[in-house]
Amino acid sequence: MKISQNKLTRRNFLKTVAVTGAVFGSGFNPALRAFAASDKLPAVERGQWKPTTCQGCTSWCSKQAYVLDGRVIKVRGNPNSLVNGEASCPRAHLSLQQLYDPDRIKTPMKRTNPRKGKKEDPGFIPISWDEALNTIADKIMELRKKNETHKYMLMRGRYTYMRDIIYDRMTKIIGSPNNISHSAICAEAEKFGSYYTEGYWSYRQYDVVNTKYIILWGADPLAANRQVSYYLSIWGDVLDRAQVAVVDPRLSASATKADEWLPIMPGEDGALASAFAHIILTEGLWYKDFVGDFHPDSPIKKFETGRTIPEEFSTEIDGELVKEVSFQEKYTYGLIKWWNLELKDKTAQWAAKKTKLSAEQIRRVAIGYGKAAPQAICWVGGGPAMQVRGSYAAMAAHALNGLVGAVDNVGGTLVANKEYTQSFPGADNFLDNIAKKGKKHKKIDHRGRKEFPALKKGKPGSAVVTNNAAEGILNEDPNEISVAIAYMNNFAFSCPQTERWERALAKIPFLVHITTHAAEFTWFADIVLPSTHHMFEKWGYVKSHANGYLHVTLLQPVIDPVWDVRIDETEIPWLIAEKLAQRGFDNLIRHYKEYKDPETGKSPTNEKEFALYSLKYATHKLWDPAEYKGGDKFSGWEDFRAKGVWNSGPYPYRKRWGKMKTKTKKFEFYSETLKNALAKHAEKHNTNIDDIMTTCNYQARGEVAFIPHYEQPYTRGSAAEYPLLLVDYKSRLNREGRSANCLLYQELKDLDPGDEKRDDVAKINPVDARKLGIKTADKIKLISPTGELTCTAKLWEGTRPGTVAKCYGQGHWAYGKVAAGEFGKVSRGGNNNDIIPADYDRLSGSSAFYGLTRVKIVRLL
Amino acid sequence: MKKLQGSSPQGQNELKKKITRRGLLKLSAWGVAALSMAKVAEGVSVAEKSLTAKRKRLAMVIDLQRCMGCGACIITCKNENNVQDGFTWADKISKTVGKFPNVRYEYLPTLCNHCEKAPCVEVCPTGAMHKGDGDITMHNPKVCIGCKTCIAACPYGVISFNKKKPYKFWKSDEPLIKGATSSPREVVQKVKATAIPYYNPDREATLAGAGTRYKGIVEKCTLCDHRVKNGKLPYCVQRCPAKARIFGDLNAPNSAVNRILGKYRSFRLKEHLGTKPKVYYVRSLNPGTYQGTRGSV
Repeated sequence: MKISQNKLTRRNFLKTVAVTGAVFGSGFNPALRAFAASDKLPAVERGQWKPTTCQGCTSWCSKQAYVLDGRVIKVRGNPNSLVNGEASCPRAHLSLQQLYDPDRIKTPMKRTNPRKGKKEDPGFIPISWDEALNTIADKIMELRKKNETHKYMLMRGRYTYMRDIIYDRMTKIIGSPNNISHSAICAEAEKFGSYYTEGYWSYRQYDVVNTKYIILWGADPLAANRQVSYYLSIWGDVLDRAQVAVVDPRLSASATKADEWLPIMPGEDGALASAFAHIILTEGLWYKDFVGDFHPDSPIKKFETGRTIPEEFSTEIDGELVKEVSFQEKYTYGLIKWWNLELKDKTAQWAAKKTKLSAEQIRRVAIGYGKAAPQAICWVGGGPAMQVRGSYAAMAAHALNGLVGAVDNVGGTLVANKEYTQSFPGADNFLDNIAKKGKKHKKIDHRGRKEFPALKKGKPGSAVVTNNAAEGILNEDPNEISVAIAYMNNFAFSCPQTERWERALAKIPFLVHITTHAAEFTWFADIVLPSTHHMFEKWGYVKSHANGYLHVTLLQPVIDPVWDVRIDETEIPWLIAEKLAQRGFDNLIRHYKEYKDPETGKSPTNEKEFALYSLKYATHKLWDPAEYKGGDKFSGWEDFRAKGVWNSGPYPYRKRWGKMKTKTKKFEFYSETLKNALAKHAEKHNTNIDDIMTTCNYQARGEVAFIPHYEQPYTRGSAAEYPLLLVDYKSRLNREGRSANCLLYQELKDLDPGDEKRDDVAKINPVDARKLGIKTADKIKLISPTGELTCTAKLWEGTRPGTVAKCYGQGHWAYGKVAAGEFGKVSRGGNNNDIIPADYDRLSGSSAFYGLTRVKIVRLL
Repeated sequence: MKKLQGSSPQGQNELKKKITRRGLLKLSAWGVAALSMAKVAEGVSVAEKSLTAKRKRLAMVIDLQRCMGCGACIITCKNENNVQDGFTWADKISKTVGKFPNVRYEYLPTLCNHCEKAPCVEVCPTGAMHKGDGDITMHNPKVCIGCKTCIAACPYGVISFNKKKPYKFWKSDEPLIKGATSSPREVVQKVKATAIPYYNPDREATLAGAGTRYKGIVEKCTLCDHRVKNGKLPYCVQRCPAKARIFGDLNAPNSAVNRILGKYRSFRLKEHLGTKPKVYYVRSLNPGTYQGTRGSV
């Protein structure tokens, strides 16, 4: 029999079938039958694109998942979103390997080894949901019986806006003050910059399509956070219209495409920002329509280096001597104070010494930026902000947006558009006396103490100090934590100085982890509950903004869950509430039954209904035409669900000018808002603001504490012993810290400039490497004053001399077979948080990651 | 079918007789693959008829200014074509050049160049590498004998050889935590997939063995011919978030590729070899400006 590919005909094919008949059995492949019938090539993409949301980073893009025969095969951006459209960054696609990861936990587990520690194998064995939930409910009831509900703790990691069900309401009704979020290891200090200048505590959006100049401050939008998909989609055009300058000690993804790379010394961002402001003012480039100008009669009409400007001058009007302000500000406040207190001597030459950049480049960028006003963006990322004294650097860099009138303006920095989601019903009526008493205890993270002002939105003690909760647990300060539930977090990996968390978690007598994978955190758990994958198996919603719009996008179960998993933020708290009710405490389930389906008015009767009704409740005003308030309009829930995303109206430019949520309603270069917040904090501790500054490790004294200003970086380790500064950054393939177990992550790690496939490299400038005798591919230890890690050395010209650049993401010793060197035993590469000391920007409560520690390198033989 | 014969390299029939038996043996062992192969045979013929009414020369332009070096093309290609770990049909060449602080990063997305004078086609002894519709350099895995001559001949290193049984990762029976996590094989079975859990059956429309690749054959980019023949763009083109990849027919004067190639000076990889690649690059990855200068003495 002759069969060649050329001559393979239907007849020959049938012969072939005879040979291989057994394989086919009686059934013919339906696809082939269809094909034979129509005599056409089988159609592609016969499945359905179903809407959902990606939370691989906090871009929170609306997505569509391509589903065929109950399997997710591909993902893309949801074209219905005006924020991200069809564009999709690379990390989104890794979600498939997370969903179908064999190392996902498919059933609840319990620990069989009573000893806890990094070196103790927990001896997890599978148990039923019933057993797991009964155990959890029993432990909570024990606390309640002993009036010790304050010893209960809830830790939150990746969340949707369904969070309050488990994070807020459940914790309150059980009776504990201890709901601790991950926010302070994200970028809270970044929000500090915009809040204490323009009264906005959140991430900004950037009008890049209309801008002429962009300065990226430690932000890398082409790789990581925020709205990466959107910025990838537009950047090629942005480069035609705008100059892009990148302030970053290493050649970031965004720096590879920029006009200017400013490889600054870590921690010196504030110096650069002050010099930019100095140059913009001395060159007369501030935006007069926003900032105003000198009084026409003022004897001084320009900013000159080193010269103090009196705030007022005397002039004669109708024969009378009157005081007039030297500078008539329009929508800003405190420019002259800022100049006198901080800026007047901060020349390019001064900053050049601090930053190790050339004065020429500093001037060039400052003037370019100033000339582009008001279409000139300072994009302040975590880099300058997440430092020990980062609050002021964040203010300094963000204040430039005020100086050039970019705030709320075309081609500038924008805030979130208005949206109409609603909060869940309040918990107050369901708090019994035990809960009320328990809730009054102080929080485990020490926020609000003298050394932790944590001034979120002007209120002392209102921001979380995530990483300090480990100290609270370890020292039983203010009390012991005896029952803790945590979801989708991994503090033993994601918080600096990880070993503190290892000890803290080992100390908690009963720890529950809700997670998709057996992470480092899980290692210390007594009960493990398997969570749905947020993108494909969960109900929820998130809000996000870019491109002049805000979207509210739904997370939807586009397939049946692969394993026996439950939704972390809705189904699991409901199931716990049921178990508590069985034990005579029904307050929580009675509260949850208030989350009624807006369409039918029905109360939920099980966890699945609860997950859906609570979502419909929260988004009611978006999808119910009778409740319509603005933005996209839908005919009802099903219509909203099918499109998957609600878009706000377009951005109302300049509407906030003169109406900012600061004390003065203006953009504050002298922050009365911060002054007020600091005064409140000082008063609470019967002291003065200078004492607070000293206690919290800031250099500012007197009025300098209220203005954006330069503070010397606070660095751990001596230069003699630890010659290099660590530069930590994020991978374009990181799905937070959760994608290292994906094959694609390892295979394509070299998509991060300078990185290598399947490896974890510390990148050292060849100049330093020569001095240290280090070569590419050497196995090395990075040692800081607080820890060490093992990785591979790489010589790279994209690293500033004097620093070592290393990406965050590798270094797992748990999580899965691919992520770990040897699961439970050996890490794959090294986790940067093993060498970053636990320290804080105390005004915002943020953990410091950058400009913080020096390291030494030891070559392993 | 006729068209395919016409476009196959000459003098192959002799060799093909040899591989017939081999192919048949594989058919017995790989019934599913056999089914797919039949689809190729008939599917191609139909598509050929419709596409060859007007001869096309399909090409890609990659706009490096729009390219963000993000690698979404590499990942989504693997996604669409069920490309296994360690293999890349779409790939990149990247390096950092210069001395600090005068440094730039170079990144060039790569894929099969679908050369007009394709060395792989010229040297293939069995006709497995052949010119398909639209001048796409196609590979027929059923005829491939895994001699790797194509790999040696290709100046671009875009052909991969299945030295081992494919999808090794997914064939493991070892769970991480006994009873609480699954083995890779168990996931594949649980979701009733072929080879990998997120297996895309579309690929079988024109490429036998796309999911059931086997040890001893080569594989490479086919410009997503299964999509193109269905009027859809190659998946890397469709999914590039930056619209950096532009696809079209060089023979159509007003196609987007011709518009862009008319506007910008382009380059192709190793043009001096005379392979006439059909992947073109325009503009610069680093379009940054600098302040005018005359330099100094």
